[in-house]
Formats: sequence, C-alpha cells, structure tokens
Amino acid sequence: MVSMRAFDEVCLDALRRKAIHGELHVGIGQEAIGAGMAEALRTEDAVVSTHRNHYHGLAKGVDRMAFLAEICERETGLCRGRGGHMHPFDPANNFSATGIVGASLPVALGYAHAFRIRDEGAVAVGVTGDGGSHTGAFHEAMVMAGAARLPMVALVENNALAISVPFDDISPTRTVAERALAYSALGLHVNGTDVDKVADSFAAAMEHARSGRGPVIFEATCHRFRGHFEGDPEEYRSREERQKLRDSFDPITLYEGKLLEAGHSDDAALKAVRANEKAKMKALLQDVLDMPSPDPSEALQYRFVEEMTA
Amino acid sequence: MSAIQRPGDRLSMPLPATIAEAIGLEMERDPSILCIGEDIGRAGGVFGCTRGLQDRFGKDRVMDAPIAEMGFAGMGVGLAQAGMRPLVEIMFADFIGVCLEQMYNAAAKIPYMSGGRQRMPIVFKTAGGCIGSAAQHSQCLWGLFAHLPGLKIVAPCSPYDHKGLMAAALRCDDPIVFIEHKALLLRKGRDFRHNPHAPSEAYTVPIGKAAVVREGSDVTLATLSATVEHALAAADALSGEGISVEVVDLRSVVPLDTATTAESAARTGRLLVVDEDYLSFGLSAELSMRVLERLGFSALKQVERLAVPDVPIPAALALEKAVVPGPDMIAEALHKMAQGA
Repeated sequence: MVSMRAFDEVCLDALRRKAIHGELHVGIGQEAIGAGMAEALRTEDAVVSTHRNHYHGLAKGVDRMAFLAEICERETGLCRGRGGHMHPFDPANNFSATGIVGASLPVALGYAHAFRIRDEGAVAVGVTGDGGSHTGAFHEAMVMAGAARLPMVALVENNALAISVPFDDISPTRTVAERALAYSALGLHVNGTDVDKVADSFAAAMEHARSGRGPVIFEATCHRFRGHFEGDPEEYRSREERQKLRDSFDPITLYEGKLLEAGHSDDAALKAVRANEKAKMKALLQDVLDMPSPDPSEALQYRFVEEMTA
Repeated sequence: MSAIQRPGDRLSMPLPATIAEAIGLEMERDPSILCIGEDIGRAGGVFGCTRGLQDRFGKDRVMDAPIAEMGFAGMGVGLAQAGMRPLVEIMFADFIGVCLEQMYNAAAKIPYMSGGRQRMPIVFKTAGGCIGSAAQHSQCLWGLFAHLPGLKIVAPCSPYDHKGLMAAALRCDDPIVFIEHKALLLRKGRDFRHNPHAPSEAYTVPIGKAAVVREGSDVTLATLSATVEHALAAADALSGEGISVEVVDLRSVVPLDTATTAESAARTGRLLVVDEDYLSFGLSAELSMRVLERLGFSALKQVERLAVPDVPIPAALALEKAVVPGPDMIAEALHKMAQGA
C-alpha cells in the first residue's frame, strides 16, 4: 500500500513537472484494494482495469519503471508513449485497461471464455467503479459470464462517487454486490479500506471463479481522497468533507494502527517504511524523466502489422 | 457436400455457403479461431454464412450470443488479447451503433495505444447494403468505419473474393471489419457476372489490392461490394453505344488502393466513383482526392461521384431507387460523362 501510494505521489510530481500533459487519475485512498488483490493474482490471470488503473497494474506485476515511463509519455514506456496513463497494455502479464467507463467488463469476459475453453485454470478480473456498474456493458458481460459460468471476477471499486454523482442517489440497489443474484453469480461486499479483509475476500472470490463455480461480483467500498482527475474543482464536496475522509478512512493509517495495536511494529519502523518507498519512487521518477520522448517522425507507427518494427 | 465437385456444381452454391466454407477451412487450420454472434450456431447465421460450423467445431468455437452486442464485441477484444482469433458477427452493419465503442475505442486503437505490443486479430463480420429494408437495415457504413483509424475495412463482391478475403482476414493480425452485402448473400455463384467460381480448397486474396474487373478506355469506374455488379451491368449496357468503361473493384476501403484506380484513370482520363454508402465525407470524395493528389489536379478531364445523397434509406421502392445507385443511375452518370468531353 505504501509503495502504491508513493507511486501515485510521484505521478502527481510528474504532472507538476509537466512530464504528463493530459488527464491524470490517481487512486490515493484506494490502496487497500490494489494491495489486497495482489496476493491472489497469478501471472496467467488477466486484469482489465479502468482509467484509475495504476494500483491494479502494480498488483498484476507490471514493471514499475516501464509503467511510470508510459505514464510520463516516454518512448521507453510500456507502450512506447502511445497509450499514456489511461491505456497501459502489458500482454506478458495479461494486464490492460480502458479509459471508457464500464468497457473493461466485456474484455474480461473474452479472457474468461478463452481461459475456460483452453482449460487453463486462470481467472479474468474486470475492474470497474460504481459508475461503471450501471452501464449496459456491465450487465451484458455479467449475463454472458453467468450463463456460461465463466471464471470472471467483476471487481467493483465503489468509491461512492461517479465523478460528482453519489452512488446512493442513482443506484436502484443498496450495493452492487446484491445484483449478483440476477446473474447466478456470487456477490461479495467488503470494506475496501481494510486491506486484510480485501485480501481474504478477494482470494475467496478468485477461488470461487477458478474452481468453475461461475462469476463473482466483488464490491469493495472505499473513498477517493482526491478529485476524479487532477484539476477537478470538486464543487460537489467540501474541503471539510474530504479532510474527514482522509482522517477516518485512510487504508494505510488504518493498517498501521492495527500493526501498532498488535505490537507488530512501532512508529519509527512505520515511518522508515514510508520514507524508504518515497525515496525509491523519487529515484524511479528521476530515471524516467531522463528517458527520451517518442520521435515525432514515428507518430504514425504501430497502427497496423505492416508498421511493426520489433 | 461430396468430396469431388465440378466447377458447375459449385456455381449453384449460395454465396453464404462459400463464406462458411472459407471460415470452416480456416477453423480447421487454426484452432485459435472461434466465432461469436447472434443466431450463428444453431441457425447457422441468418444468411447461412456459418451453417454447419457449430456441428463441426462445437459450441465453444461457434457460440450463439445473446442480443448483447457491446458484451460480445468486447468479448472479441478480450479473446484476441488472450491469444485467440475471434470472428465476431454483428448481424447487420446498422446494429454496430450499439457496440461501436468496443470496435473503435478498443479493437481499432489498442495496437497503436500499446505501441504495437498488443496485436488485435479480430474480424467483425457484418452484412450491409440495401435490400428494401429501409433506414435501419440498409446501411453500408464503410465510410464511417474507415474514418476511425486502426480498422481495416473489406467489402468484397465476387464469390472468389469473398472466400479468399475472408481467409486473409482470419489470418491477419489487425482488426478487420468484413462487410458483406445482403443482396449478394441472397445469390448463388452463377448469378455473378465476375469471378463466380470459388475453388473448394483454401486460398487467400490479399487485403488492400483492387482489381480491374472489366477493361475499358473511356471512363474509369471505381466502386466495391454489390455496386461492382451494377457497374458491370451498366458498362455492358453502354458498350452497345460505343462507350467503353473500365471497372475497378476496390475490394477494401482501408487500405484503399489508390494506385490501381489512378493508373486506370490516367489511361481513360475520366474517373467516376460510385458508392452505396453516404455521399458526404465518404469514400467517393476520399478516393477522388487521393487520385488527384497522385496524378495532379489537371491530370484528368473529369472526376464525378455518385453515392447516397445524405438521406436515410427510404422504405418505398420508388424512393429507394431514387437515392441508391443502381445500374440505371450508373449508366446515366456514365452517359453524361461520355457526352461531357
């Protein structure tokens, strides 16, 4: 969690230093979900993520230097600077993302069908937010996954806000997980700020899907501490509200509290962990900023097979 | 089907059977190819383009999908990312409106967005064109798809090309929109004026190469899909009057074979582009412009275009005939051009 947050913090730094020139969506406050996924994911599993994808990619094992280089639009990036932060593709790790809300689920469905017919025992995880859970694509993918009992987990990061619209104002159900019944799926709902609970519950979801018992809607409620994107004026909530969320629901602080209470760590050790990860990521960013931007003369390359070099 | 067939027997094959044969041969050759779509399994496709394939290859490889095009179009993207080679059938081109998102934001862009590291071998097979079904079941839409970078757009005419281009599409690592024409799907081999015979064995026709399907010296007519047949009919009708028309079957919109068209137009001095798709911002203007850019703006005596004049396809036959280029409308346009210079 600490490492993931440090990663997003250097992304903010890169934005300030104009190494990222477009929209940036960070996941600060949602680390328990990224970290909680990591343990149960295998290399052969697939994760199809969203516009807010950094933690999922790190959990899936995407090389952090190539990932940060892509976010910073470098030729050495995961996608040679053509994808950017919303569109990372790492075929070797079966990790990809889409910037279109809800569009991740059908792609995960495709992986799930391939895994089942090849009998590989792998699971496809389609990530979406509470906003994406209302799309037709979510419904269509769940219908097909449920009917064929495919090994798919729909991971819903419910941060209670679809940009500005509160989940409770637009959802016909109290949770997304309870919609699972309609798709013959397993519905799991977990406090997404508690990393232990996320890890246990997500492992159970993956096991359910892996063992051929059909898809899962895994909903983790959490809070987005920053705007929908960097620069979001956030007129839909007050500064005090945001501060309250940080004070009450920071997954890292909550977990540190648990460690301290159980006597597994002390203040100095925890501070050292944070400082160490920060330093590592700062160094990583410096390395990335020294890398070259793509050559403008190659702007048309990589559309079709005829344009492939390596 | 018997093991040995004479060409004459094969000419009685409906075009969809030829397409099914192409898909079946490719599926035999490559176990990663699989088909998803509405009514393609038990029914074998509403036109019969996948008839018999589910019995041969099973339900996992020839899947009847629910009416959830966004779901299964995206499923195709995921399958391609997982190393499979999906053929996704969207029954009619008009229905792509409900799943265009996965085609143009995912399939078309992912090869580029990944810096060439994620290939996208996927065929979106669909049926377009006019058979009297009015505004929501008659569109060609290849101009729309061609406008979106990253998709290859194939629209064959002859049975020979349908089979060879389908095989080539299934072997290609890029996303392809393969647009059949409904009127052609209702024909048998022998109903075609050009290249009616598709051999029984597997073969490919390269994607992106136009073909001169009729030689002539007065006007070059470039078009594709069912309009090639209309153009050949019009050219035959005019030959009695001493007007000699060269017909170019473009076969694909992306890549667009400007060279073949330009080479022909440079010889005849006149170019007519006929398109069953909408006129504005489409194939007819694009091809005309590319030919002129290639040859120089004063190289040709005449450049004309004939396409659906930016109106939804009407239901009434009289209205449909007034807006969709058929043999008579094409002959009239050719006539005018021949008189014009």
